[in-house]
Amino acid sequence: MQKEIEITGLNKSFGQGASAFHALSGIDLSIGSGEFFTLLGPSGCGKTTLLRIIAGFEEPSTGVLKINGKEVTGLGPSKRPINTVFQSYALFPHMSVADNIGFGLKMLGKPKSEIKSTVAEMLQLVRMEAMADRLPSEISGGQQQRVALARALAPRPRVLLLDEPLSALDLKLRKEMQSELKRLQAETGITFVFVTHDQEEALTMSDRIAVMSAGEILQLGPPQEIYNAPVNRFVADFIGDTNFLILRVKEIGNGEAVLELPGGRQASARLPESISPPVGSRVTAVIRPEQAEPTAAGQGEMQAVVEAATFFGTDTHLHLLLDDAQGFVLRRQNRPDQPSPAPGTRLGLSFAPGALRVLED
Amino acid sequence: MARARFSITQLPGFGLIAIVTFVMLYLPIIILVMFSFNEGVSQSRWEGFSLQWYQAAFNNTQVRDVSLRSLWLAVTASGLATVLATLAALGTTRVGRFPGQTMIYALINQPLMVPEIVTGIALLIFVAAIKVQTGYTGMGYLVAAHTAFCIPFAYLPIRARLETLDHALEAAAADLYASPIQAFRYITLPLMVPGILAGFMLGFVISLDTVVITEFVKSAGQDTLPTYMLGQLRRTVTPEMNAIATLFLALSLVIVTAFFLITRTRGR
Repeated sequence: MQKEIEITGLNKSFGQGASAFHALSGIDLSIGSGEFFTLLGPSGCGKTTLLRIIAGFEEPSTGVLKINGKEVTGLGPSKRPINTVFQSYALFPHMSVADNIGFGLKMLGKPKSEIKSTVAEMLQLVRMEAMADRLPSEISGGQQQRVALARALAPRPRVLLLDEPLSALDLKLRKEMQSELKRLQAETGITFVFVTHDQEEALTMSDRIAVMSAGEILQLGPPQEIYNAPVNRFVADFIGDTNFLILRVKEIGNGEAVLELPGGRQASARLPESISPPVGSRVTAVIRPEQAEPTAAGQGEMQAVVEAATFFGTDTHLHLLLDDAQGFVLRRQNRPDQPSPAPGTRLGLSFAPGALRVLED
Repeated sequence: MARARFSITQLPGFGLIAIVTFVMLYLPIIILVMFSFNEGVSQSRWEGFSLQWYQAAFNNTQVRDVSLRSLWLAVTASGLATVLATLAALGTTRVGRFPGQTMIYALINQPLMVPEIVTGIALLIFVAAIKVQTGYTGMGYLVAAHTAFCIPFAYLPIRARLETLDHALEAAAADLYASPIQAFRYITLPLMVPGILAGFMLGFVISLDTVVITEFVKSAGQDTLPTYMLGQLRRTVTPEMNAIATLFLALSLVIVTAFFLITRTRGR
């Protein structure tokens, strides 16, 4: 895969001396050409700062940023082959939709005929042909979003940066724009760097995700890997729902730990390479709510009592109490022939090998 | 029955106070305008409709001279003040926070706080000293004094306009390959226009209206319309003054209406 963006040893701090705030520390990252790459994290994790550094609105304190193999540190935003879709859209309120879309090309000094044909092409791409002469204040939020996209795509940048572009839209429109963005990316082949705090959005849209917290990248990988094999407690907690269990280590070997489960049975779990807990110590292990299955009482790896059941339409969440009094949530798909068990029912829990994982704290 | 929500309009006396206020504000002006059309010389007894006082005002070359001087001075001083206020507004809103920023705001707005009579006397002494040194007695003193006085009035609406402008717009322009000058030319400046026009018109009206400062700064033969009228009132008051005041009022109304229309259509 050809590298579009390469970031090495990047740090960013605001302020001086003891009161300095370290917004980003030790970021190493490379983003492939044509990739849909997502920076995911809670607000204040540094994802927007990283995006602003890539765009050229901020300079890194230390580190190197290369775009298409060329170092761009020190170049302003107008000198980088990158365009941004702003969170507030930042459409020029005194210009028509068409003039907004053509602005970048005009600044690049393209001939009028080329601007006109590209604007027409972009209007078609985002399905806004009928709105070309409207002012931004005369179109809806979803339409403004499309114009902002078209404006950023019109100069054919190598990279498109998107700063939480869907956060202002309602749920239905957001879903629609998610598939719209995927389509636009596939049609244009432009590298997308997408910033969001919405883990579901990140999982459904991205080729790869970088999960960020407190200015660092905690985990970098495809959505499946991030979801199925979170490296630490933060990632496991931030992405999807999960059950945390504190369990005692019985044996260690081969990159796996044998753990003592509530009720006395044992199961083996993958260990992250970074840790080797001593035998007898307690570790944090996780199982996703949909990766365990209810069985008859006395069977399976763990025993539990049903405390409550919450109906969610497609599935039901069973709130269970394990034998050692730790809580556990089980997600079970609803079927008409399988009523959910009543509170107080005893049942067993089984899970596939690999569902139980030990985490770095 | 549902209890009506509290409304100040339902308090006893509300209507009376409102009426008295409007009468106080507008009745004298209405009377002034009315007697500008009076056939006789009286300011209190109606003797029939006539345009003779308007004719007299138009034929009075002195009135024409001072009116033109007033307009010229207002346009020049307000124009200069608007340019300076625009630069000041850009300098105080388009940069990050800097030490002393609050003091800068206060300094720019200071003329609003200093009593006009103090400014007038200060200018009188200052200008007299320069006159003695240089021998220059032209309109420059009035232009400079009016410009300085108009700056805060022009600055306020321009700064207010700039503060509502999203900084992301300029960032977006830079992101779309605009140089700083292009970003200013195509984005910031056009969006500032309503504020700049408002600032210019406010300055214009203030300059046209000021008596105290002009009175202290002007040299011989530099009367503006307000100082001329004040001088005339010391003698006999004929409805000619009413006619001039009415025209003055009409001009103000035109400017205020234009200002309102401009900010309403361009301000969005």
